[in-house]
Parts: sequence; C-alpha cells; structure tokens
Amino acid sequence: MSRASLANEAALVLLEVENLAVEFDTYGGIVKAVRGVNFTVDHGKTLAIVGESGCGKSVTVQSMMGLIPMPPGHITSGSARLRGTEVLGRNSIDGKEIRGAEIGMIFQDPMTSLNPTMMIGDQIAEPLQVHKGYGYRQAFDEAVRLLEMSKIPEASKRARQYPFEFSGGMLQRAMIAMAISCKPSILIADEPTTALDVTIQAQILDLMQDLQHETGMAIILITHDLGVVARMADDVAVMYAGKIVEHGSVDDVFYRSAHPYTVGLKEAMPTNDPTRQHELHPIEGSPPDLFAPPPGCGYCARCPFAMQICDTRESPDFFLKEQHFSRCWLHHEDSPSKPDDLYFKGREA
Amino acid sequence: MWLYVIKRLLQGIITVWFIATATFFAMHNVPGDPLLNDRAVTEAIRANLEARYGLDQPIGTQYLLYLRNLSRGDFGISFTQENREVNDIIREHFPVSAILGILAVVFAAAGGVLFGALTAIYRNRLPDYIIMFLVILGISVPSFVVAALSQLMLVTLNSAVGTTVLPVAGWGTILHMLVPAMVLGLGTMAYLTRLMRSSMLEVISSDFVRTAKSKGVPPARIFAKHQLRNAILPVITVLGPAIAAITTGGFVVELVFAIPGLGRFFVQAVQQLDYTVIMGTTVFYGAFLVFMVIVVDVLYGFIDPRVRLE
Repeated sequence: MSRASLANEAALVLLEVENLAVEFDTYGGIVKAVRGVNFTVDHGKTLAIVGESGCGKSVTVQSMMGLIPMPPGHITSGSARLRGTEVLGRNSIDGKEIRGAEIGMIFQDPMTSLNPTMMIGDQIAEPLQVHKGYGYRQAFDEAVRLLEMSKIPEASKRARQYPFEFSGGMLQRAMIAMAISCKPSILIADEPTTALDVTIQAQILDLMQDLQHETGMAIILITHDLGVVARMADDVAVMYAGKIVEHGSVDDVFYRSAHPYTVGLKEAMPTNDPTRQHELHPIEGSPPDLFAPPPGCGYCARCPFAMQICDTRESPDFFLKEQHFSRCWLHHEDSPSKPDDLYFKGREA
Repeated sequence: MWLYVIKRLLQGIITVWFIATATFFAMHNVPGDPLLNDRAVTEAIRANLEARYGLDQPIGTQYLLYLRNLSRGDFGISFTQENREVNDIIREHFPVSAILGILAVVFAAAGGVLFGALTAIYRNRLPDYIIMFLVILGISVPSFVVAALSQLMLVTLNSAVGTTVLPVAGWGTILHMLVPAMVLGLGTMAYLTRLMRSSMLEVISSDFVRTAKSKGVPPARIFAKHQLRNAILPVITVLGPAIAAITTGGFVVELVFAIPGLGRFFVQAVQQLDYTVIMGTTVFYGAFLVFMVIVVDVLYGFIDPRVRLE
C-alpha cells in the first residue's frame, strides 16, 4: 500500500459497527442474541470484546463475516462499515472480497477448524488462489513463506503434512498464517487461545502482536480471559446479554471501571499480586433469558448496585470521557450511590 | 504402506482358509449325499463313484486332499454335471456376474454419493423429501419386484416405440446390462444415499467448513474440496462389502433377466448337494469378498491421510 493511499484511508475509521442486532428463530421462539451493538476499530489497533459465554461476542463478528447461517439467523438492524462502505449483506468491496481478503478470521479450536484430509500448505494456499488468482505452485510457495513467518520450523516439510500431524499450538499458527495470507486489514480472532495451554497461549499472542506490527492490521480479539485483554488490547468492549455495557481504552476499563459488571468480572479474576490478597467473588446468578430480554438493564438481577429504575428503563450510554462510556444509571446525576463506590466494595469485603 | 498391504493379504489368506474349512465340515454334516438323487444307482456304480470322488475315504483324509487341491487352485469336478470342472464353471460364469456387479456398484456409488449430497444440501426442503421417500422405497421393495416391474416398463417402452430400444432379458451387449445393473444396485444405492446424507450433514456444520467460508472460498469449491472428500469416507468403508454382496447376491436378478451368471450355479448346487461346486463357489466368493475389503481399505488410505500411518 502506498503512503498516499494510507494517508487517505487513515482519515476514515477502519471499521464502524452501528446498532447491530441479530436474532435467531428457534423452536423455542426468537433469541435476541445481539441487541444493538456499537463499536469502532482503528488501523493497527486491537479491540478486545470480552464477556461470558452466550453474551453475543461471536455472533457479532460472525454476522459481519456472513458466517451466521440464515435461516435461522437474521440481522434485524444496524450496519457495519469498512472504510465507510457497508459490509453487511455483501461479499466484496470494490472487487476485493470481504471474507478472507479484507477480513481474516481465526477460531477457537484449531484441532477441528482445519480440513483433516487436506495438506496444511494447500489450506493456506487456498485463499491466495481464490482471491489473488495465484497458480497452485506460486500459492504453495507463498504458503511456505507464511508458515515461516508464523515461526513454524521446517516450513517446507510441514506444509506437506496434514492437520493430525500438528500440535494444537502449531495448528493455531497455521490458522493465523492462513488468515493473514491475503494481507487483510482486520484479523478477527474468536477466542484464539482458549483451547491451548498457557505457554502456547503466550506464544500465539506474541505472534499475533508481531504480525500486527509488521502488517499494520487491526485485530478484533474475542475472549473471556481478562489477562489476555490486558496484554493485547488497546480498547476494550465489555459485552453482556447482547449489548456493550462498557467501552473504553484498556486502562480506563481496567483501572477506572465504570460498570458494575466489569467490576464483577475483575473481582472474579485471580491475581498474583501479593499486596492485594483478596478472595475471588463469583457473580451470583445467571444471565437473563434472551428469548424475552428484560426491559431495563440486562445485568439488573445480578447487580449489587441495582436501583428501581434499572428494572424498568434502560440506561443510555454515559460518557465519562470521549472514548469511555458505561451503560449504567449510576452515572446519572440523580443517582444516590456514586460510581466511585464500585472500586472499594471488593477490597473491603 | 506395503508392509500394511502384505499383512492384510496374509490375514486374508487365513480368513479364506477358515471359510474353506467351515464350508467343508458343514457340507459333510448335512444329511444325504450328492449320489442320492432320484436316478437309480446300483451298489456297484455307487461304490465306483465313491471311489472316483474319494467319498469312501475317512473324512480327515478327504479334508487334507481337499486342502491340497485347493492350495493348487483346483476345486475338483462337479458331482452332478458330467465332466465339468468347478474351475470351468467359475471361469465361464463369474465374469458375467462380475461385470454386472461392477456396473451395479458404479451405479450405486455414483447415485448414492450424488443423491446423498443433494439431500444434505437441500435438507428439509422438497428435493430432500422426494429423494428420501424414494430411498425408503428402494430399501424396502425386494429386487425381484423391481426387476419384474422394470421388465414390464421395458416391454411397454419397446412396444410404444415400435422397436427394441432396450432388451427385456438376455446377455451380450452393453444394452443388456444397463437395466439389470440398475435393478441390482438399487438397494445399495438407497443405503449409500442415507449414509452419505448423514455424513454430509455432519461435515456441512463442521468447524473446518466454517473456516473455509471465512476464507472466502466459493460454495462450489467448498463442496468439492472440503465437504465431499470428508463426507465420502463412510461410503468408501462400506463399498468393499457392498461390492461382494452385489456380485454374489445377483442370483434373483440374474434369474429374472435370464443372465448366465454364477449365482444360478451356486443355488442349484446347494439344492443338489453338489459338494465340489458348493465348496468351490463358496470359497471363491469368500476370497473375492476378503480381497475387495482389502482393496477398499488400501484405497481408504489414499483418501484419508490419517489411516496411512497405522
């Protein structure tokens, strides 16, 4: 990419998701999996989306990639714009395909996410053949180079092997090589390290960061591991029951948490800091039924700070500063308890 | 890989020996003997015949003799058909059964894979319902009914056109083979369709197909490169036994279409207690089945790399 076009594009936000809502028709009724999500991703930055299982993290990104099976799923509202162009419901922008070329994606379980009857090299070469029109030989050579870039030793030999001959960590490296093969502007990593042990996890995260520095791509990292977030992210979006409840820079979200759910997550996380001897406090209860989401705040039933208004009316986004908002009534000027109370509750208990 | 093939072949030889032994002793424990048919046989002739065929020997000696001949590929002489060696019967009639069987298997495998994949892709929509209805029909209607019905249709077709488009019965040209092969393969095709459907459904919702989609691979290429090859594995597994079952099970179809295959001799021999023909055809069919299973297992290794190392 030339310097001039880079400067042009830098003026536009790389990815802007606005009011995205996704539903699924099931036998039990309509599941409102994602209920109006807004976020932006900038060039070369990492956005982490955190939240517990079933909160809509994966559905959000998969709907952008067109990976949601329709039916039963459908996108009921919202838009996702890549450099200002809508991506929802289309396959390509200016002749460049979104899936694989503009946005690459890696998944949670590398063991099952690769085709067991196809050579690793062929699988990495495939997007190059599809999107760039490379010949087989050329694409395979490029695949070997990508494997080397992903720090797989003896890449040319490894490229001729099959997934069952690789370890889990190596498979995830191969997945990453595959996802970045067409130099996408965004890499979506859907819980990339959940199935791996801790040392391999660190290596994979390092690799992703190295590649981000080399290629300047943005990363959307989906995880429920706050340790991974702290290490990787520039910005954090905390999701709960299909909505983003808090969004801000990683420092704001971690050190100036402004939503009771974020505080709850931190209280439930173990620490190895000897000066902070605290017990782990699980968040009691379970997330609301998304067949019939509550009219007020989704977290209300589990929230130690819940007020009457939380049950009936949904809070707007309260901006604490330009890039840091919390969707919680505590920040309203008439609120009886102040958000600062959030911090000291855990440590005193 | 070659070690694996040799190992499998040795195992196969042992299996064939078991089949031969079991058939031998089973045959000799069936009441009656091949010389006891409706023709009057005097004591002298009977003694002569018993000496000729070795039936006067103790059973242990007969068994050893049988094994020695078998190891030289000699199945002996038929008891009921004058001066006909079992080897000749097999040599003359097995190719007919084999050609019919192979055609039927090709038809069954191609149809099963195609229709199975179609039903999975059109799951719970009209093509799925229609094909699955026909599959139930294909599995449950016996082959002699299908054979008779197809003959009736051929007769109607030929008389409507005014000339013989496809012959109703007999053997000789490729035209004679088409309809019997389809009838013979129909049951297997229905079974393979079901198998292919369920394995295809599993593959369609698998993680690696989602990965392929996220790479932006077009649907036709996903089907050919990712779905088909993985979904076809269970079909290949049952193909070996299916080939043997079709080739040996063609008796009814051979009879209805007046095809000079081996099946007829096999059944006749059992009715007439023709020891050598029964044992010859059984051992031959058994060896054929074992060989086919080995061929398919080796073939499997080429499609699924995970099997090769074992």
